[in-house]
Amino acid sequence: MSSTSDSNNSLYSISNSRDSRAVTPRFSEISPSEFFYRNRDLAGFTNPSRALYMTVRELVENSLDACDLSLILPEIYVSIKAVDINEGEPRQYTVTVKDNGPGIDPDRVPLAFGKVLYGTKFTLRQSRGMFGLGATMAILYGQITTNRPATVSSIRERVAYQYTLMLDIQGNRPIVLNKSVYDSSKEHGLEVSITLVGDYSKAQQKIKDYIVQTALITPYADIVFEEPNDNMMTFNRIMDKMPSPPVEVRPHPAGIDVETLRRLIVNDSMSISYASKEKVMREMKSKEVRDILLIARERWGTLTHDTRTTLSLIALLDIPLDDIERIRIDKIDLVNWEIHYTRLLTNESNIAKLDGVEPFKSHIVSIAEGYTLVEFLARNFQRVGPNIARRFLEFAGFDPDKSIGMLTNDDIVRLADAMQRYSGFLPPDATCLSNIGEDALESSIRSMFKPEFVAVVQRPASAYSGFPFIVEAGLAYGGSIDSKGLRLYRFANKIPLLYDESNDVVWKVIEDIDWSRYKVKIEEMPMILVTHIYSTRIPYKTVGKEYVADRPEIEYELKNALRYLARRLSLHLSKKGSMAMAKKRLGLYAKYLPLIARFSMELGRADKEPRYRVLLRLGEQYEMEYSDGNTMDTDQEGDNSKGKDVAGM
Amino acid sequence: MVKGNNNKRMSSKNSKGRSNSDNTTQRERKKRVKELLIQLGKDVYRDLDDGRFPELHIPSRSVSNIVYDKTLRQYILGRAKITRSSKNIRHLRSFTQLVWLAFFVDKLVNEGKTSTLRDVYYSSQAFDIDFEDQAESDHIITDLEALLSLSREDFNIYPEERSSIFGDLTIEYTVRGYEGRRLNLSDHPDGYLIGPSLSSAELVDTSAEMVIVVEKGGIFTRFVEENVHRRFKAIIVDTTGQAPRATRYLLKRLNTELRLPVHMLTDGDVYGEHIAMVIKSGSANAAHLRDLTVPDAKWLGVWASDIQKYRLPTDPMTEHDIKRCYELRQDPRYQSGIWKSELELFMKIKRKSELEAFAKYGLTKITDDYLPEKLEEAKSL
Repeated sequence: MSSTSDSNNSLYSISNSRDSRAVTPRFSEISPSEFFYRNRDLAGFTNPSRALYMTVRELVENSLDACDLSLILPEIYVSIKAVDINEGEPRQYTVTVKDNGPGIDPDRVPLAFGKVLYGTKFTLRQSRGMFGLGATMAILYGQITTNRPATVSSIRERVAYQYTLMLDIQGNRPIVLNKSVYDSSKEHGLEVSITLVGDYSKAQQKIKDYIVQTALITPYADIVFEEPNDNMMTFNRIMDKMPSPPVEVRPHPAGIDVETLRRLIVNDSMSISYASKEKVMREMKSKEVRDILLIARERWGTLTHDTRTTLSLIALLDIPLDDIERIRIDKIDLVNWEIHYTRLLTNESNIAKLDGVEPFKSHIVSIAEGYTLVEFLARNFQRVGPNIARRFLEFAGFDPDKSIGMLTNDDIVRLADAMQRYSGFLPPDATCLSNIGEDALESSIRSMFKPEFVAVVQRPASAYSGFPFIVEAGLAYGGSIDSKGLRLYRFANKIPLLYDESNDVVWKVIEDIDWSRYKVKIEEMPMILVTHIYSTRIPYKTVGKEYVADRPEIEYELKNALRYLARRLSLHLSKKGSMAMAKKRLGLYAKYLPLIARFSMELGRADKEPRYRVLLRLGEQYEMEYSDGNTMDTDQEGDNSKGKDVAGM
Repeated sequence: MVKGNNNKRMSSKNSKGRSNSDNTTQRERKKRVKELLIQLGKDVYRDLDDGRFPELHIPSRSVSNIVYDKTLRQYILGRAKITRSSKNIRHLRSFTQLVWLAFFVDKLVNEGKTSTLRDVYYSSQAFDIDFEDQAESDHIITDLEALLSLSREDFNIYPEERSSIFGDLTIEYTVRGYEGRRLNLSDHPDGYLIGPSLSSAELVDTSAEMVIVVEKGGIFTRFVEENVHRRFKAIIVDTTGQAPRATRYLLKRLNTELRLPVHMLTDGDVYGEHIAMVIKSGSANAAHLRDLTVPDAKWLGVWASDIQKYRLPTDPMTEHDIKRCYELRQDPRYQSGIWKSELELFMKIKRKSELEAFAKYGLTKITDDYLPEKLEEAKSL
C-alpha cells in the first residue's frame, strides 16, 4: 500500500515534503507475490516434499478456520493423487481439500486466492492460517512448478461457483481462466484443487502425522485423507461441541511497532463515519425533515459526533437527509476548501464548496484534520479508554487534543516508543482466544492413545509483548502407549507443528525441568506430552510456522504447566506402586490364618482347630480398606524379620 | 580314660533362678524348651479360638535397643519390645512364619532330630510357608530366639560342626538312641567335633583345672601331641576362627558347671583379639541370648606386646586389618585394660603374627615356654 501511488490519499498522508522519503513504503517496487515468489523458502515451500506438506496444511487450516468461525462442525476431505503414476518422484500431484464451511462470497474468490494480501488489517484474531497468504503461496508454487491452474469452488445455498485460476505474479493479480456455475448437492462449502510438483514418498510420513495430529487437536472434526495409493485414513469426531469462535480484537498498544502505528494513523484519517438517517431522526427527536438544520444548530451540543457529521454534510452539500446513504465522500480538500463526492446511483462526481454555515463547516474541517490523539488511541486499541489515553499521552509528552493529522514522522516514532515503555496499560484481553478446553483435550488424548493415565492443565491467560496467549498441555502415560521415552506433540492455534522440534521453546522447557525430582524418567517411560499455545499472534521464528520462539512469558507458562503435569504423573505412579503391592496382598488372611490355626493347634496339643472364621471375615474387610489406600496403623518395627544388627561385632 | 579321683569336679546341679543357664542340666533345659514352645502354641490357639487376632511381643533387636551391660559384661537387649500382630496385614506373613517355625522346632525337639539353617529353609517349602530366601528364614529363627530367650541350638538347629574338644572330660549323652551312654573326651587323639550330641550332653566330671581355647586346628593338634591336657590339666577347645555359638555355650557350661577358668590363645592380630573378646562378652547380634559368654575368660595372647617380647616373625597389617582396629576402638568393651592397650599397640606397630610363628624357635616353643609363662602371667590378670 503506497501513499504516493494512491492519489486519494495525498492530503491524508502524514508526510510533508521534509519526510516523504521516510514514509514511502518500499514494497511498491516489488509486488508481494513477486517477493514470495523469490523467497518461497520463507513461506515453507523449500523443496517438493515440503511444498506438498505445506499445501495440505494451508488448505486444511483455511477450511478449519472457516468452520470454526461459522460454528459449523467441520467435515474435511483431503486427497493427494498423482497426475501420472508412472513418473518417478518427485512428480506432479493434485492436492484437493474439500470442506463444509460457509464458503467464500463467489465474487471475492479470485481476489482471495489470486492476490497476495499483505498487511491491511489491523485487528487481530486467533487463527490457524495467516490471512490467505498460505493458500495463495500454494497456488503460486503449483503454477511455477507445473504451469497448471488451480480450481476453487465456493458453494453456497446449493450452488457451486467454480473458478479456474492462475496468478499474475508480477502484478499480484488473479487471472480467471474459467468460471462456471452449477447445482451442488452440498449446502455450502469450499473445494480447492492445486496441482504441483511434490515428493510424496518423502512427505508421506509428515503429512500423515499432520492429519493424525490435526484430528487430535480438533476432536470435533470429521477428517478423511485419501492417499495416492487409494488408502483412506478416517477420523471421526468424538464430540459435537465446538469451542466458541475466536473474536476479532483491536491491537494492544504494547504489540504495535512504528510502521503499524503509522498505518493506523493513515487509516483512521481516511475514514469518515457518519450516522444513518434513522439515527439522526432518533437523536433529533423529530419526524420532520424540514428545518432539520435549524433544529440541529439549536441542539448542536447534545448531538453525537457521527450525527453532527451527517448533518454537516447535508448542509454543505445541500442534499436532503435521505440522500446521505446515496453519496460517497472521496476527499476533503483543505487547501482549496472543497468537498469531492460521488453520487452512487449515477456514479457522477461532484464538488461542493467547503464554506458557509457554522457549526457545520468547522465540524467538517475537524474531521479532515483527523481525530485527536485521545480519540485515536481510544478508537484503535483494545482496553484503552479516554482516561488511560490521557495518562499515557501525558507520560509520552503529547498534547492529548492534538489532531493526528498534525503528527510528524518523529512524533510517530516517539509515540510508538512510548507505547513500549509505558507500564500503565491494562493487560491484553484474552477473552478473544478460543481453545478446546481441558475436558475436550483429555477426551481426545484418551481416545487416540488409550493411555493408562492422563492429566491436562490449562494455564491462566497471560501476554507477551501486548499479545494475549494461553498455554494448554496434557500428559499421557502407559496403557497402549508403547514408546520408549517421551514423545512430544506441539500445537499452536490448533495446528500441529512437526518440524524443528529441538528449536522450539517447548523443548527448551522440557530440558530445563528436573524430571527426576518427580521420579519421572522421560527417556524410558512410555509418555506422550501435548502442548498447545493459543494467541492472537504466535511468535513463530519463521513464516514457515514450524516452531515457536522462546518468549520468557510463554516459557514461564509452559514450565508451570509441565511441572504440574509431572506432579500429577508422579502421584499416579506412586499410587500405582502401592496399589500393586496392595493387590498382591489380597487373599492374605485367607491364606495365612488357616496355617496359623493348624500350627498352633499342633504346637499347643489341641485336638481340634480353633474357631477363627470370624477373623477371616474381619481380615477381608481390612484388606479392602488397605487396597483402598487406607493404611492400617502399624508400628513399623513390627515386621522386624529383617532385624538390624550392630555391624560386625 | 582317666579314673575318678578326689580332684574331679562334678557338675553342680544346683539350679539357680529363672535363667536358662547356670547349673540346670541339659535334660532340664530341654524340658524347658519344650514347655516354652507348647505354651507359645497354646497362647496363639487361645487367641484364635476366642476370636482375637493373636500377637507376639518380641524384644527389639534394633540398634537403639542393644546396650552394653557393665555388670553382665556383655551386650544385652533393652526393654523395648515389638508387637507382631496377625491383625496387621503387613505382619501377617512373618507372624505365620514364626508360628510355623515354633511348630517345626517342636517336632525337631520331640523327634530328637537336628536341622541346619538350610534345612529349615527347605523344610518350610513343604508347608507352603514360602520364605523368599534363606536370609529370611534365618531372621525368623533369630526372632524365635529372641522371643523365647533360647538359642537355636536349643531348638536343635545347629550349624555345621567345626569346633573340636579334647581332654579328660566325661560326658553323658541325652540324644535319642544314646541316652545314658558316656564318653571320655580324651579317648580319641584327633579330638571330638562339638556337635548337637556333645552340646546337649551332660557334663559328668573331669580332672582338668582349666580350659585352653585355641583358634586354630594346627595349634590344637600340637597341643594334643605335646600332652598339654596332661601337663597343664586342661581341656583343649579349638574354635577354628570365630567361636560358633554351640562352642561358646559349651565354654560357658565348662566355666559355670565345672567351674573351670577359660584361657584363650589366638593369633596376634586384631581379629584374634576380637575372637577372644566375643568368647568373653558375646556379640551384638546375639544380644538377645544370655548363655553365650564367659565374662571371666582370659586372653593370654598372642598380644601385640608378645610379638615384640618374643621377637616373632610378622606380616604387615592390611588396610582391612587397620580399618577393623578403628572400628573396634569405638566398642565400649575396648576402653580399658589389656584390650585397650594391646589394640593401640597393634595400631601402632601395624604388624601381626600367627600362633604358628613360634615355630621359628622350635615346634615346642609354644607349649614349653610361651604357654607356661602366659599362664603364670594370667594369674595376675
